[in-house]
Amino acid sequence: MKHIIEEESKYAASAKAFRANVTRDLGNEELRSNFRGAMDYLMDKRKGAFSSEEELEVLREQCKLIKQRCLAKLPHLLEQLEGNLEKNGIKVHWAETITEANEIIAQLIAQKKGKSVVKGKSMVSEETALNDYLEERNVECLESDMGEYIVQLAKEHPSHIIMPAIHQNKKQVAKLFADNIEGFEYSTDVDTLIQQGREVLRNKFCQADVGISGVNFAVAETGTLCLVENEGNGRMCTTIPDLHIAITGIEKVIEHLADVPPLLSLLTRSATGQAISTYFNMINSPRKPGEKDGPQEVHLVLLDNGRSQAFADEELRQTLQCIRCGACMNHCPVYTRIGGHAYGTVYPGPIGKMISPHMLGLEATTNLPTASTLCGACGEVCPVKIPIPKILLRLRQESVKPKSQQPEVMKGQGAGRNNVEALIWKVWAQVHKSPKFYALSMWGLTRFRFLMPKKLGGWTSVRTAPKPAAATLHERINAKQKKAKQEKQSQHGRG
Amino acid sequence: MTNTKADIKAVSNTARGNILAKLKAEVNGADYDKLPKEIPYDYPEFSREENLAQFISELEKNHAQVIKTTKDNMAEVISEQLAALNITKLLYGDNDAHREIINALNSKIESQVYDFSIDNNKEMLFNECPAALSSSRCSIAATGSIVLWPDENEPRSLSLVPPVHFVIVDANKLHADFASLITAQQWQDKLPTNVVLISGPSKTADIQQTLAYGAHGPKALIVLLINI
Amino acid sequence: MQQLNTQHLRDYPKKPKQVYLFGTCIVDSFFPDTGMDAIELLEREGIEVIYPQGQSCCGQPAYNSGYKDEAKAVAMSQVKQFPLDIPVVVVSGSCGGMMRHHYLDLLGDDPEINNFCQRVFEFTEFLVHVLRLKPIDQGPKERVALHTSCAARREMGVHITGNKLISQLANVELVIHDYESECCGFGGTFAVKHADISAAMVADKSKHLVATDVVRYVSADHGCMMNINGALDYQKQSLRGEHIASYLLNRIKGNSSKGSL
Ligand code: SF4
Repeated sequence: MKHIIEEESKYAASAKAFRANVTRDLGNEELRSNFRGAMDYLMDKRKGAFSSEEELEVLREQCKLIKQRCLAKLPHLLEQLEGNLEKNGIKVHWAETITEANEIIAQLIAQKKGKSVVKGKSMVSEETALNDYLEERNVECLESDMGEYIVQLAKEHPSHIIMPAIHQNKKQVAKLFADNIEGFEYSTDVDTLIQQGREVLRNKFCQADVGISGVNFAVAETGTLCLVENEGNGRMCTTIPDLHIAITGIEKVIEHLADVPPLLSLLTRSATGQAISTYFNMINSPRKPGEKDGPQEVHLVLLDNGRSQAFADEELRQTLQCIRCGACMNHCPVYTRIGGHAYGTVYPGPIGKMISPHMLGLEATTNLPTASTLCGACGEVCPVKIPIPKILLRLRQESVKPKSQQPEVMKGQGAGRNNVEALIWKVWAQVHKSPKFYALSMWGLTRFRFLMPKKLGGWTSVRTAPKPAAATLHERINAKQKKAKQEKQSQHGRG
Repeated sequence: MTNTKADIKAVSNTARGNILAKLKAEVNGADYDKLPKEIPYDYPEFSREENLAQFISELEKNHAQVIKTTKDNMAEVISEQLAALNITKLLYGDNDAHREIINALNSKIESQVYDFSIDNNKEMLFNECPAALSSSRCSIAATGSIVLWPDENEPRSLSLVPPVHFVIVDANKLHADFASLITAQQWQDKLPTNVVLISGPSKTADIQQTLAYGAHGPKALIVLLINI
Repeated sequence: MQQLNTQHLRDYPKKPKQVYLFGTCIVDSFFPDTGMDAIELLEREGIEVIYPQGQSCCGQPAYNSGYKDEAKAVAMSQVKQFPLDIPVVVVSGSCGGMMRHHYLDLLGDDPEINNFCQRVFEFTEFLVHVLRLKPIDQGPKERVALHTSCAARREMGVHITGNKLISQLANVELVIHDYESECCGFGGTFAVKHADISAAMVADKSKHLVATDVVRYVSADHGCMMNINGALDYQKQSLRGEHIASYLLNRIKGNSSKGSL
């Protein structure tokens, strides 16, 4: 038997280039205004989607507990899901790595002699870089979500998990279509653009022999694959071709069908402010005898890719509560400034900072957990109440702890450790935990304030440097108390 | 690239074993009775009228056309709508109620029953079926959603491929919200091949957050609301 | 696990005779006037303020950089400085959030730590909810903006109290700036490690504050103000921020405010 040779995710390199990516994208005015506009729109939509703060909070608490319960039972639910799917006629495959997942899918397609694939939106297939893998094996893979289609035409990656082409404005899309679609006459009218995309893609749906989709919720109790979408391309991919392959992360399993409504409601409202998506598609089996459409075969690929590592730590496990709504990125001031591509990872924004280190290791992602002010805007809106800032803090700890320290919680632990920095913090702690040392250092800082440099690295490229006071608060209070005491004594003496 | 292929069954089995073992090691001995209680939001109860109003308003917000009509009038309404859209052909799911409507349609309208397998008829379905008529199982007021429960007589693509979708919705089968519907009908006991909730014509805001209708599915959703 | 949105709901004690003041390391070395003004304001309300000379820093800089052990050592040393069962008033929402919420996580949930955390109050929170201060405004008519730090807003939930205090000033009009709840881009070591992103953020924050056309903006956090004022100064803008303790004191005393940099 031939073993699978694991390929490194292409995202490892781009994530490592985070600093350079940031410099590139911060300087792109058009990109920045595209993101600001889009984020304003999405924040506004979400705000209008809840009848009251109370409704939102009760739902968030409920959904958090649902996801925590499902995670607490995760291995059992996965087994139950598998059992019920198989009973329904859906084949289940497991993959620990992205290459395993890709190879499984490639072979399923090959077995059916598939040549042409249409894909519904699936971030997990982006994670595995499935398109590249299939194309190398001469299978044509067409993205059918409008945003994904645009991104694919532009030879880019999604910059947002819900709205993949959010970094482009309509002028850019118009140019892209004009350059790539034969017979398309340049127009910035969005309806015209969408109709053009519709025409191209409907032809493909009609011809494709394989449909690939993601999964939003996999219900263990019934063996149901749920898909949330507006465009209808997800339904096309899962209804028209003969073979449907769904791929998802192991954390997407939920226990009961009754868990779906609250999660669905928070998902769509948090994502785009919609009470519900246009389509909520629940797939339970392949085509049954007598039925006139639907795929003859349905497969589900369950992917780990670092998720079990997050699972093994109780705090980090909360990362897996995520239902991929994108609200954290919509509200993130860093994401709004640098956009989705700068992260270099499949999942950008706060969720990406939390999950990518498990997928790519901390070596490739050291810059992600630190690229946050910990302002908490993400945690405030997260529908499943993941304490995102806390998890970022935890990742920072894992990143700077000694490489050899046990237990090893994460791949690449200690990758961000710098001995000079570590020493500085040691000294800092010595100074600040000892009142004497602290007083001495403050005395020095204030007395020698004229020595304070006028330039402080990046700080002073846009700001002036702060000036230490002439005397510290400690000293001023001391002096004040002394004075008060003297006054009291002299009064006493006179009296 | 691999010349000899890895055995994906073996790969999957090994992966399965490893993943489950890792996960189980973490939750071994967990006491699931001790999980905190989950409390759903207590929505106020609405009257039938309020639910209906909510249902219609949500659908209309999402650009669906809602036409209040009656069983006897449906053929006329559909005929009018098709004429207005310049459509002369209607695909329909095979059941008695539909046949009755079809028989009463304006004679200029050609009708076709969906009694063929999709396999050799994709081109026809995609290119020669401008409109479709389907029934629905029930509907949901809170989100303006129509529940379709496709079967051999009403295939899944009936409500998906033709650009105009007429759907008959019985006001007596309106439920307040998705959660109460699932519980009331005990969905977990028996689900068909596919269930779909439809809440408007297909749409996208993928280009500069500008909403456009008719992405890949129907461009128009026309709801024939009966038994009001 | 703490829950961001509800964790600031708490029961408030009656007005005490004594309080501790936690000055924060930034105020200690850069803005001692703020500390002095806070004390004067509290003393005017008849409260004795104890300032333990052994205090230094809440430990947040190390904590936020991932150096948990170092943060822990400093945090523990601070808890020991405030043994009496009286409120610890902190003139920063950010340090307040650290001491009120993160200490539990850092130092373990034992009774002493828990008791300490329960006693921590952010300055404006203390004025509004414990002192029930109704400031009598003696200052001239003016318009100000208010910037609330992210920790004050999201960990302590005290954006409301800052707003309330300013709104009670009879001669002051509070102007809300665009993207009011958005972070100024400070984030401690973030401003150094990711200086360019931080710069983009503070550019926007200062732009939105300047656009309000006020002469002063007020904040209860010197971290943010060091960032924003530094940027304003660099841009040669006249607008400056002033700590809310100083601002309130000046309004009550009828002095005109000065702004701190
Ligand atoms: S982390 Fe929370 S807010 Fe972000 S995508 Fe996941 S569920 Fe949504």
